[in-house]
Amino acid sequence: MLARMAANFYWLGRYAERTENTARLLEYQLTRLVDADADELALGWRVVYRALSQPPPQAPADVDEAEAFLIADAYTLTGGLVEDTTNPASMISCWGMARENAREIRPRLPLRVWVCLNQGYLWLQETEFADAWGEGPAALVSEVIDRLRLLAGVVDANMARDDAWRFLELGRYVERLQQQIVLLDVWDRIARPGGDGLALAWADLLRVCGAFEPYRRDRSLTLQRGSVLGFLMRNPEVSRSLHFATGRIESTLRGIDPAGGRPPLAAPHRLALRISAALELDPGEADAASDAPDAASGEVFGSLTRDSRTLHDLVQATYVDYPVTAGLPS
Amino acid sequence: MSAVKFVDHGYADPDPAISAGSGPFRHYELDAAFHDELFHEDGTPRARARRLGAALSRIPPEDLERLQDGVYRRFVHEGITFTVLGVEDVSEQIIPIDCVPRLITAEEWDHIERGLKQRLTALNLFLRDVYHDGKSLRDGIVPIDLVLGCPQYRLEMRGLKVPHDVYVAVCGTDIVRAGDTFAVLEDNLRVPSGVSYMLACRTAMKWAFPYLYRAYGVREVADYPERLYSTIASLSRTAETPRMAVLTPGRYNSAYYEHAFLAGEMGVDLVEGRDLVVHDATLYARTAAGLRRIDVLYRRIDDDFLDPVAFRDDSVLGAAGLFHAYRAGNLVLANAPGTGVADDKALYAYVPRIIRYFLDEEPILANVETHLCREPDGLAYTLDNLKELVVKEVGGSGGYGMLVGPHATKAERKAFAEQLRKDPANYISQPVLPLSRAGCFVDGRLEPRHVDLRPFVLQGSETQHVVPGGLCRVALRKGSLVVNSSQGGGCKDLWILRE
Repeated sequence: MLARMAANFYWLGRYAERTENTARLLEYQLTRLVDADADELALGWRVVYRALSQPPPQAPADVDEAEAFLIADAYTLTGGLVEDTTNPASMISCWGMARENAREIRPRLPLRVWVCLNQGYLWLQETEFADAWGEGPAALVSEVIDRLRLLAGVVDANMARDDAWRFLELGRYVERLQQQIVLLDVWDRIARPGGDGLALAWADLLRVCGAFEPYRRDRSLTLQRGSVLGFLMRNPEVSRSLHFATGRIESTLRGIDPAGGRPPLAAPHRLALRISAALELDPGEADAASDAPDAASGEVFGSLTRDSRTLHDLVQATYVDYPVTAGLPS
Repeated sequence: MSAVKFVDHGYADPDPAISAGSGPFRHYELDAAFHDELFHEDGTPRARARRLGAALSRIPPEDLERLQDGVYRRFVHEGITFTVLGVEDVSEQIIPIDCVPRLITAEEWDHIERGLKQRLTALNLFLRDVYHDGKSLRDGIVPIDLVLGCPQYRLEMRGLKVPHDVYVAVCGTDIVRAGDTFAVLEDNLRVPSGVSYMLACRTAMKWAFPYLYRAYGVREVADYPERLYSTIASLSRTAETPRMAVLTPGRYNSAYYEHAFLAGEMGVDLVEGRDLVVHDATLYARTAAGLRRIDVLYRRIDDDFLDPVAFRDDSVLGAAGLFHAYRAGNLVLANAPGTGVADDKALYAYVPRIIRYFLDEEPILANVETHLCREPDGLAYTLDNLKELVVKEVGGSGGYGMLVGPHATKAERKAFAEQLRKDPANYISQPVLPLSRAGCFVDGRLEPRHVDLRPFVLQGSETQHVVPGGLCRVALRKGSLVVNSSQGGGCKDLWILRE
């Protein structure tokens, strides 16, 4: 397939995943508006904004980040992540970018996939945020999640398992890997569950990641830092674990590689395998007793962040922006 | 999508009787100056329209509204759009579709089909002659300076062997109906567009009027992508299955939807200039697995932008060296470069002579009366009758660069007359055509609107095919004669009847 179209499928996957990630975090935070107190809500917003790599709301110079979130109102904070077309990370911007990428690949995209994506975009564009907020703050983001799941189902049912689908999956899981690394790191450092001060619950992190029930079945309700982080990093069956995302990345790259995974491996494939190995071999479980984040865990997340970014760069360089001379038929 | 209950409103039964000006057609005003395709002048329905009229009269108005809305929403959701480049932004617009089909009888279509085949055969022979022997020019059939002075004439094509001598593989000819006869208004021999809207209209209408469609016995157009593919593939120089691609200027082009649609339907890549590389006089596309050769390119960009080395050096839409690959015989382009010389509006006036010269036949389809401002008599006539004429730039399109005399102000006519005197060779004039009118559903009423027609002809190495249908454009504004989508026009489905 055309290199440009491979990139478009990849970015379609990334933007769809990014939209869902934002929606999931917002859904978590907005459902807390009912019963959490102001300080807890402010902490939640701080985690959400940090996890999405968004700057804190504007505040006077003498106000620190934590207080800035205490001052800001939920409607404005949500709007910035939902309907603000000047914010490239807002859901409407991300869905719009997914659609723009889809426009470029329409010849390769099943009509049903396009229609589903386009209908979702048109719905989001036509929705008045103020009206939707009036019907319940979380209703809009819940519907976004439902529509994204519908899109995932339509993709699953209508796309052949060819390179187009592989690049779409690759984008989806590279985005998920990057977002999940940031979320785990931010939750560990800022939410400080188990500490003395204000904290968010480990159970909430599991819920945001759709992993609470599998965790409960696997490890009962022992919600300790190391156990939860270890589960979300290394469990191979939970779709938002780092291991699961890396596994999907590795298998799609194996399919994309014309040699089918035989040596010499393409550079992105090699790196994906290395990230997998690092996750499997990391002794994080041994620190299960420790409730406080430490320098070592920060280093693990930092290393994973760097690797996941390099993985993206290698995908671009190997399959899209390669030198012409390297692509000539032998 | 609106919930529409599909009810067979008795489409197989042509009763009840209908007439213009009464019942559901009470807003349908006939005008003796224009041929109406649904009704005779006395208000009784034409034979072909009885079943359609009866069906429309049986459908409750609210159902018709829902059908119209459903068809529109289908276009919205499927993103059947054209792109409009504004001063500050780019917008996608839905081409308005009218839910009432236009009907053409088998007999009428047979006449059109024969005329189109004849015309394209002659034009391909003319193009070969222009770029080789120039016999028709030396024999005075077409003025030499008209051809050599045409901006679309490509010196680079002189003496170049074009596969199977097919210069124009895809042609879209604009046809109007004035009175009982059809006439050619314009030949589009470069990158004719609109065929995707034809197919989209048909899909939508089958959804909206399934019973009526079946009852009428309409000729099918759905195989167009396969025919387009086999037509263009037949021009390939390779013995194996050629690797084909559609070349688009990109998603900001007004016809991008069509380019993507056709590439998808044909199962070939939709490439842009940035995807292409020429190496060793061979064209390659950048794929995720390296460079892959392209043998045949259905290009949807103008000659000027094909290759910055051979043509416009500021073009970023084509690929450097592409024309070199073409000259070397390693690439087939459809349509060939330089075909624009034969669809120039001034040359149009000579097409009947071209047909007689090359085929020794009388033209089956007439031309519209045309005055060439490059000739002193034509200029004088045009200036004297500016108020009654339509004046067009010879290289213009899309309804731009033209003056519609009867609708222009005195100041506009005066300014245009100045332009005419300064550069008369750049203009032609034609009478305002009394475009026929077809029934449309506009603002909840059945009313007549002016229409034209663009059928498509495919010319392969050994086959010639006229698509039994076409893009039917409609001037949706009451009284307007301008059918261009960029100026308030829409489209409707065209049903060519089997019997």
